[in-house]
Amino acid sequence: MRIEVKDLTYSYEQSSKKGGQVALDKVSITIEEGEFFGIIGQTGSGKSTFVQHLNGLIKVEKDRGSIKIGEFDLTDKKCDFKALRKKVGMVFQYPEHQLFAETVFEDVAFGLKNFAPEMSEREIEERVEQAITLVGLDYSKVKEKSPFELSGGQKRRVAIAGVIVTKPEILVLDEPVAGLDPAGKKDFLALLKKLHKMFVKTVVLVSHDMNVISEHCSRAAIFSAGKILTVGTPKDIFANEDELISLGLSLPTTAFIEKRLSHSGINPKSNLTVSDFIDKLCEEFVGGKR
Amino acid sequence: MKDVTFGQYYPKDSFVHRMDARIKILASIAYIVGVFLVQSFHFLGFAACFLFVLITTITAKVPFLKVLKSIKAIMFFIILSAILQLFFNSDGEVLLDLSFIKITDLGLLNAAFIIVRISLVVLGASLLTLTTSPVELADGIESLLYPLKFIKFPVHEFALIMSIALRFIPTLLDETDRIIKAQKARGADFESGNIFKRAKALIPVLIPLLISSFRRADELADAMDARCYSGSKNRTKYKKMKLTWRDLIGTILVAGLIVGVVYLNNFYVLLTVAL
Repeated sequence: MRIEVKDLTYSYEQSSKKGGQVALDKVSITIEEGEFFGIIGQTGSGKSTFVQHLNGLIKVEKDRGSIKIGEFDLTDKKCDFKALRKKVGMVFQYPEHQLFAETVFEDVAFGLKNFAPEMSEREIEERVEQAITLVGLDYSKVKEKSPFELSGGQKRRVAIAGVIVTKPEILVLDEPVAGLDPAGKKDFLALLKKLHKMFVKTVVLVSHDMNVISEHCSRAAIFSAGKILTVGTPKDIFANEDELISLGLSLPTTAFIEKRLSHSGINPKSNLTVSDFIDKLCEEFVGGKR
Repeated sequence: MKDVTFGQYYPKDSFVHRMDARIKILASIAYIVGVFLVQSFHFLGFAACFLFVLITTITAKVPFLKVLKSIKAIMFFIILSAILQLFFNSDGEVLLDLSFIKITDLGLLNAAFIIVRISLVVLGASLLTLTTSPVELADGIESLLYPLKFIKFPVHEFALIMSIALRFIPTLLDETDRIIKAQKARGADFESGNIFKRAKALIPVLIPLLISSFRRADELADAMDARCYSGSKNRTKYKKMKLTWRDLIGTILVAGLIVGVVYLNNFYVLLTVAL
């Protein structure tokens, strides 16, 4: 499913006539099916507001732009948001705060029971087991446990299992790695890559970590003050260091080293992923041998 | 979630904002007493109360719509009270007879009376919270409750609990909003079904909310401990409360309102006697 956003405008506090604070200002963007799309920007630049539009948690107001996701027209009053949310999964910041059920099984099954009430017990069990195993937990060990007796990292895994259990085609994640330790971060991104190869066709990832963007995203957008400044491959968006710094952002490590190397006349011209960067450097120095 | 006006501070620099919180609290209580003093069907007294609210709103530089919004929050309660009055009042002339209930002219008047009375009380109370910051409010209450210290009532702790509770209202609203969205994204449905279904649908919101409140309370207690917070003894205040000429004018106005209401009550009586 393709995501098409046109001239999307949104401001909080509509009640005040002066328009309150504009969170989104004529944002237009198209995200193709199959992309691993990154979104970066300062706190308060409108990223979260934008992604919450993608599954109708914030509705598009009249004459304030349009969003089309696959065959869903979110501007349409008759849009079936439940069906949409089944296809567009959403992982919020600190998703572990949404856990509520008595057992891990019940919590993960929550979304499934909401979206597919006709599903048989056996099928539900299969799907829940698959989701819990996917996020790297031992199903037989955790399924009867209370989610609140798990560790922080495990809680987050359970919460994510609760989102992917419905097999969304588009997965939207708002800073999913905030507060994770390096190993947890790595595991999580590996999981995301795996999901992207399975049923998740499109990933939209909001992150403050430039390395995550340069390493994993096929394309990314920079948000600033409710507008999209640049859209493109990591190579494109990380081309202008001064602009990034003025926005309170930074370069990913690979781009940073490349930039410093270029001052000494070395131009590896990698696509900014770590492995490609090392390959290009090896070509430059030792003729391709790594 | 965003339209909860009741209990929200509207920062502005105005005559009312600069009044002493204690006087404002007492004036609000006096105003509410005034509203309740208005005798049945003497709507002129209500007009006086409304005029008072209007004057206060204008001098406080608060948009009147913002004040009116507070009624929205308890609309359900108002309508319920009005309906009860309407249906269960059998005095007076019958206007509509539906065999099992009779709607009478007195019932109708009573319902209108109740609506106006509750609305006026809420308007006054929301004016207090709109023009007084939570901190000032808590300080004011603490100061007003001071005499209770002599019967060993922990006044300071009580005020602290109150100001913390007030402080966390917006935080909890934000949190609720976030959790509702997260559960909606997982297909939770809060808008359809009968009342039991809807109540049950709230469980996935209430439990995370409760847990996060406990977590916050723990964190806050630790943070206060880390800064060596200890009760009331020898604690000074950042802002000392002082009575000024504004408070005198405010007091006179409220006193005038009450005299006016009592006078208007009797005015009716005099009018009926004269006729």
